[in-house]
Amino acid sequence: MKSYDIIVIGGGMMGTACAYYLTQEGLKVAIVERGDIAGGTVSHTDGYIGASEKQPGVDSMQGAASMKLYDEMRKTFDYDFEFSENENGDPIGFVYFCDSEFEFEKAKEQVAKNQALGIEQYAVDPYILQQLEPNCAKDLTGGMWVPKDGAVCPFRVAFGFVEEAKKTGLLDVYTRTEVLDIKQDPATKAVLGVVTDKGEFAAPKVVNAAGCWAPFIGAMVGLEVPIEPRFGQLTVSEKTGKITQNRLALEYGYYLTKFFQDGERPISPLVKAFNVCLNITSDVTGNTVVGGCRLFRGFSIKSEYKIMQAVAQRGIRYYPMLKDFNCIRAFAGIRPFCLDHLPIVSDVEEVPGFYMACGHEGDGITLGPITGKLISQYATGKPLEFELAPELAWARWHDKDIPAMKAREEENTKALKAVEEEVIRSLSK
Amino acid sequence: MLNKQLLIVGAGPAGLAAAIEAKKNGVKDVLLVDLNMKAGGQLMKQIHKFFGSKEHRAGVRGIDTGAAMLKEAEELGVEVWLKSTCVGFFDDKVACIEKGMEDGSKKIIYLKAETIIIATGGQENVVRFKGWTTPGVMGAGAAQTMINVNKVQPGQNIVMLGTGNVGLIVSYQLMQAGCNVVCLVEAAPGIGGYGVHASKISRAGVPIYTKHTIKEVKGNGPNGRVSEVTIVEIDPKFNPIEGTEKTFAADTVTLAAGLKPVSELVKLQDIELVFNGPFGGWVPTHNEKMETTCPGIYVAGDTTGVEEANTALEEGKVAGVSAAEALGAISAAEADKQRAEIWARLDGLRMGPFGEKRAIAKKEVMAKFPGVRA
Repeated sequence: MKSYDIIVIGGGMMGTACAYYLTQEGLKVAIVERGDIAGGTVSHTDGYIGASEKQPGVDSMQGAASMKLYDEMRKTFDYDFEFSENENGDPIGFVYFCDSEFEFEKAKEQVAKNQALGIEQYAVDPYILQQLEPNCAKDLTGGMWVPKDGAVCPFRVAFGFVEEAKKTGLLDVYTRTEVLDIKQDPATKAVLGVVTDKGEFAAPKVVNAAGCWAPFIGAMVGLEVPIEPRFGQLTVSEKTGKITQNRLALEYGYYLTKFFQDGERPISPLVKAFNVCLNITSDVTGNTVVGGCRLFRGFSIKSEYKIMQAVAQRGIRYYPMLKDFNCIRAFAGIRPFCLDHLPIVSDVEEVPGFYMACGHEGDGITLGPITGKLISQYATGKPLEFELAPELAWARWHDKDIPAMKAREEENTKALKAVEEEVIRSLSK
Repeated sequence: MLNKQLLIVGAGPAGLAAAIEAKKNGVKDVLLVDLNMKAGGQLMKQIHKFFGSKEHRAGVRGIDTGAAMLKEAEELGVEVWLKSTCVGFFDDKVACIEKGMEDGSKKIIYLKAETIIIATGGQENVVRFKGWTTPGVMGAGAAQTMINVNKVQPGQNIVMLGTGNVGLIVSYQLMQAGCNVVCLVEAAPGIGGYGVHASKISRAGVPIYTKHTIKEVKGNGPNGRVSEVTIVEIDPKFNPIEGTEKTFAADTVTLAAGLKPVSELVKLQDIELVFNGPFGGWVPTHNEKMETTCPGIYVAGDTTGVEEANTALEEGKVAGVSAAEALGAISAAEADKQRAEIWARLDGLRMGPFGEKRAIAKKEVMAKFPGVRA
């Protein structure tokens, strides 16, 4: 039986990042992945990275910390992961649109909090907004500008982590290998290795980096993991040239609906039914990518045409010129949504040798590096580089009634689905 | 939203046959959608006579079979949308179709169908060599469409890569259309297609280079078009042997390197796919009704594995009968009886040295169909 210092389950953003930072610590690592590297959420996403799309506090701070690591990776990696940059070498920023006084006030609050934490972002008036995004609608209340946020090619980041890790000679990658069980010491519950459909591997440490599928891995060691797949869908246009000037433009409601119930936006029933919020970028290829939404659809990643229609409506609200362009395709993916909106990154006290690196809903590409780094420090017992790391730890779930929370979430989903169906019925009349 | 009893995507031999059979069996509402300007698919460019026995339309040219089927479909009242592309395929059998309007514009239409038959056919494989994107390099099927349907020559001096039946037949038809076929190039040690086709070409004095491949195409012609083609001999491991290069002046390269199933629409549903080499790649598994693992969605023709027009046509009939059964137009017993007759003909088509491989492949694809439906 092959043995390793540590086995990482999952070859997505978290798994590859963990593998990279663990090999940098001199550990002998195996990635065990059911599909292929970057084959799950990483291959159904847009690749934006930044600190702005997060709640001020531990969330935005871990974003900022990860952006610093990306800066390092740009310098040290031979593997090019297409980090966006302008002529000054900085990633080119994000612009948020506020469509109401309410949104603008919320944006100003967020800016004040994050500025106090040292994260660079500004509230901008409609005049400046027009300078930043000349093609946007002329009747917006205001906006927010985050000059440092950018984008990467998500596949290439994952492949980059693997390639750079392989240089140490300490990494083995097992793709098309499904973990069936995790072996534990019956007395201490300590991890002993994993059982896969291709045989067994021994290791005293195992990382659960299975993203949306992390609950299945957690269940193997008796943990109930509070993560659910949250659906998103993007639409790709024909060649448009550069409609957006920034790396990404979003409506502020995108941030609001991510964390809070949204009741304030002046939107159509269709947009409301599908919880659609604009994010838009004119890609280097000359196509414009428009999204997005947050819904619960189980593990399905099938595109839905009604969402495409709602996304188109939302796109035209903020960029009226979009009405003259055709859509060429749509694609959907699922994000590992953790019930309290924070990822779980730490060791697990009740299962010695078991680590969690999952639940990064919609932020995995940004947070891959800091998560990998933290797991490498947990696994080697080194001091944690990120002082707010304890807030991300598994321990915060000890006193929570996860089944009850999941049930509540399910009720919510059902209620939302009922609203959605009602809207569809009324529209089809 | 528009509602239809039966939507058929692709008006080639499989789609047309399915439409006719469904109509004949009493399905009222049949819509046939095709992205081309004419229905009939590949049949409309097959000016050669078919082989085989009489019940398999032997001795009849594909183009005549196509015309007869089109006429029959029209007389039966099949609704046909041409220049219309099925661009989306969603849950609950909702299709999004970009419909070609009379004034030349396009209109997006969503429609819900009770049953769907996917008969989107096959597409040509490409071969990559230096200069493979040069204008003048095209599929052999494209060249065939140009001469037999659009009546234009794809070029003057043509190098054909591939000597399967498509490569051989299209070469001969190009010669008939007044083009000069410079040579045929084949990587395998022997000619791929029927000897009878190859002899016609050899008798006309056109060389066939086996154990050769295209090394490079130069594009110094007008507007960057192909000007020169260099071929090279290859060893048994398909590595080029240096010093064996031959260069020809040519303005066109046609690639007859086989086909693969067009399975985009199939992939948009939760239909179970099987990889099958002889059939050209990923194909949907199906049962003897031509029904996929998604109840009510059927497949027929090259979409289920690349074969030939007659087989596609018969499979289309099976799908049409099964859709009629699912829609309640005929009884299960009647459907079984009709299907048994068609399957007997299909078995006949999959015999002989070329047919047997297809019979085995079909068996493999169908064997993956789950015995019990969810």
